[in-house]
Amino acid sequence: MDNSICQAYEDKIQSLEEEIKLLTEKYEDNQQESTFFSDEEILMSKKSFQREFWRESQGCESLSDLKAQLESLETDLSFLMKFTGIQFTSHSKKTVEKTRNRAVQKHRLSGNCHSLSFHLEFQLLEMQNKENVSVVVNDLSITMESGEESDVSKFVSSIEEHGNLLAFFRSLSSYAEWCEHRRCTFLHFKAKYPDVVTLPEGLLGDYIILRNSKHSGFELLVVWKIHIDEEGRTTPLLDLLTKVPEQVLEWKNPAIENAPAGFRSMLLLFGIEAAIENLIKVVSLEK
Amino acid sequence: QEEEEGPLRKKSSCFPHIATSQGMEPGQGELTPAFSLAGEWQGKMEEGKAYSPHGVFAHLEMLEARAHEADLKEEEATQQEEKLARLKARVQELTLQRDELQAKVDLQQKRQLEKEGVASDPAQPSAQAVLEWKIKRVKAMLQVFSLTGISGKLTKQGVCFCISTAYEGTYLDSYYLDLLTKPEVRILRHSIPIFIPLEQLAKKYLQTDIRRFLSVLSNHLNAYAARKYQADQLQEHFSDQIEGTLQTNSLCNLLVFNYNVPNKSKTFPFNVRLLYGDLCSSIPTKAPASLAEMAAAHSDLFCHVALHKAFRSFRNAGESVAGAP
Repeated sequence: MDNSICQAYEDKIQSLEEEIKLLTEKYEDNQQESTFFSDEEILMSKKSFQREFWRESQGCESLSDLKAQLESLETDLSFLMKFTGIQFTSHSKKTVEKTRNRAVQKHRLSGNCHSLSFHLEFQLLEMQNKENVSVVVNDLSITMESGEESDVSKFVSSIEEHGNLLAFFRSLSSYAEWCEHRRCTFLHFKAKYPDVVTLPEGLLGDYIILRNSKHSGFELLVVWKIHIDEEGRTTPLLDLLTKVPEQVLEWKNPAIENAPAGFRSMLLLFGIEAAIENLIKVVSLEK
Repeated sequence: QEEEEGPLRKKSSCFPHIATSQGMEPGQGELTPAFSLAGEWQGKMEEGKAYSPHGVFAHLEMLEARAHEADLKEEEATQQEEKLARLKARVQELTLQRDELQAKVDLQQKRQLEKEGVASDPAQPSAQAVLEWKIKRVKAMLQVFSLTGISGKLTKQGVCFCISTAYEGTYLDSYYLDLLTKPEVRILRHSIPIFIPLEQLAKKYLQTDIRRFLSVLSNHLNAYAARKYQADQLQEHFSDQIEGTLQTNSLCNLLVFNYNVPNKSKTFPFNVRLLYGDLCSSIPTKAPASLAEMAAAHSDLFCHVALHKAFRSFRNAGESVAGAP
């Protein structure tokens, strides 16, 4: 009889201790999520010198340890952002549910990958099973700045449907890198041949026009589209369009008619920059 | 109650007639009903003509043993009592603590609902609190990076990258790659499985373009994780349609199994050999399956759709056929 009473007390103690643990975590999570300190406050805290020996005697981490830890973490973060090209500009997280085996958090994340900005909202479900913790994404919603383009919006819809957060970032990275490469290439040619190259839609547009300032009727339009399919594969598509005065059209010059095909061969043989460079040289010829 | 009092009484009336009694003869004195010592003593005395040493000592031993037992039982009982009292006190203490915490949390939530501003305490927060808050935030941000597929931390000699894998919304295993950066980029250690062509990829990309190296490696790892996940899902959710076990190699790019598809109350057995020719894909390139008209359709399906989803569509097709009016 005594033993069963003891056992009942012990069980009660264990359940109370668990409750206390969960409540403490909940309290701390709430504190963390509802507080906000500005950058100045953080900077001031980094510079402050408190009586460290008192802290250490209390068993807390000393201020200098905390400063060192923060610096190391911030260095890691800025390295990652620089390396991957993914910059997070804001992140907020709210713990919606937390029990012994299960935690649900709602995340809101904004950032950009090179020049493409995005805003995400999703739920993260963490479940403790016998061996490990499983993490599942639910309710993913993505907004992209360049979302008007149909292929991007199809890609985003497919990602949202399957909650494919990881694939989103991987595909976004390669897509953004191509866009960045295109932007840099356009910038390079604009800077090198300012008279020949014009960018009607600016550096973020998808075509450039090459023309000889003396023969304004004749233009070469290089289109460089970057396509992303529903599975996130990025493909660059380049093509050449010629604009010639009507009289020239009547001559049926094979060189002009074959120009697009010729350009495509050049792309394969020499790559994008060299092919465009060649076109510019052709256009610049005094003919 | 008898039990409690009994040992006490036994203790105090132990050997009353041998050491402590004065002028008392055996057989006299106070006796409790449960205590027949004096009676025995008396009996023995009369029997063995009193002064047989073995009889006496044997009795003494027996008395001693009984007293000792009584002692122990009493000690046990008091210990038990003390333990119960301790446990009870602890329960009270923890309950109090829990209730206090609950009140704190409720107050927090109430404040949040009333939106009394974002500021925490009216008092100036300590530098320590601010730094601890910031640390938690940065850690949360780093955790988000692990959701993107590539995360890492700087080490003394270089960088330690962590590549995460996932299939749709479910995150799977993570793999580590510890790189040295000086004098040239080298892999110090890693947790990449041996059947992933790490050396080949490293040779091709590591020196020239680390980002590309990680990206290609991530493709391989994610495809492998996806294939493995699909095979596991198949075994977990469609075990009734699989005959025997799924045979696969460690890279999970070759899958052989027997399955049957129910169709109009008959089941058709199939054997299929899925070959994933593209190591960066989680969809097979070849899927020759034996038997029947359905084989070609299934083959085609396997090469276009994820494995467990193909099976789901069989099941749905089978049900719709069976339920057709």
